[in-house]
Amino acid sequence: MALPNKIMAGFSAALYAQSGATPTALTLAQLSTLGNVSGIAISGNLIPVEAVPAFGQDDAVASFGVAGSRQSDKIPTQSAPTSLSVTAAWNPSDTMLLLMRGDAYSGLIDRTFVVSATEGSNIVYYAFNARVSQFTIDSSPSAEAKCNFTIHPRGNLYGWSNNA
Amino acid sequence: MATQQNPVQYGKAIQYQLQSIVTPVPVYAAFNRNFATQPKFIVWMLRNVHQDVYTGPVQSVKGIDRPTFQISIFTQVIEDGFTISNQILQSLHGYSGLFGGATNGFQIAKADVFWLYNTYDNDEKLAQIFLDCTLDIPT
Repeated sequence: MALPNKIMAGFSAALYAQSGATPTALTLAQLSTLGNVSGIAISGNLIPVEAVPAFGQDDAVASFGVAGSRQSDKIPTQSAPTSLSVTAAWNPSDTMLLLMRGDAYSGLIDRTFVVSATEGSNIVYYAFNARVSQFTIDSSPSAEAKCNFTIHPRGNLYGWSNNA
Repeated sequence: MATQQNPVQYGKAIQYQLQSIVTPVPVYAAFNRNFATQPKFIVWMLRNVHQDVYTGPVQSVKGIDRPTFQISIFTQVIEDGFTISNQILQSLHGYSGLFGGATNGFQIAKADVFWLYNTYDNDEKLAQIFLDCTLDIPT
């Protein structure tokens, strides 16, 4: 299968997380290995998010200004994977949402998350290890209750793969 | 995770619930061919059945449904229409719980009634009042 060669609808992105209360997160090498990543991206591990937020890498730059020098300098540093603020319809018995709530309660659980971008049978995966923080439930009277949580990736623990 | 809910159930529940509020005034779905001989009757029309669609290839990831049904009240005496609309407002506006009776009903988080306007049809000699009712239906 070839990589999709087209502009993709954001709708075809999905967010998955490793199952289990105490998962063993993938290693750095496994995070870019299709066989390891695609095993996590299964429907049972789907987090029912409203929309997958922006994912990738943060901007990171060091600025230097030296007295007497005419121009300052900006030097990019190794930047961290970006945090994901996720909104999902709050279903109090959804297994994956309860895992997120449990992770936020613990604050110490490293879990592998996978974002898949799909077009037909062609899939691009972005996998990263992260912890969950800030789990809130927003019960607005004019819409479904939402749960909001933030996924903070660990530094230098992410990878890309595809089924090409 | 939420599957798409069945509008047939909505229709049956709306018919039952309106009928139980305004009985003995007859309630019809969308059209009443006996209007010339009936001094009071109610017609309802369901619209905006929609559950928000969320991301990903799994079809059952959706939000709750918030359908609206319009209630049209027809009466030969204007005051009768206002009285019936008040019955509906008192009973339905802000209602939370089982909607539509034991057989075809379902739980709603809230019913929100919006009294739109009243008017008069000189050809049919019928006063008319229109209300919108929006249901918040958990999935």
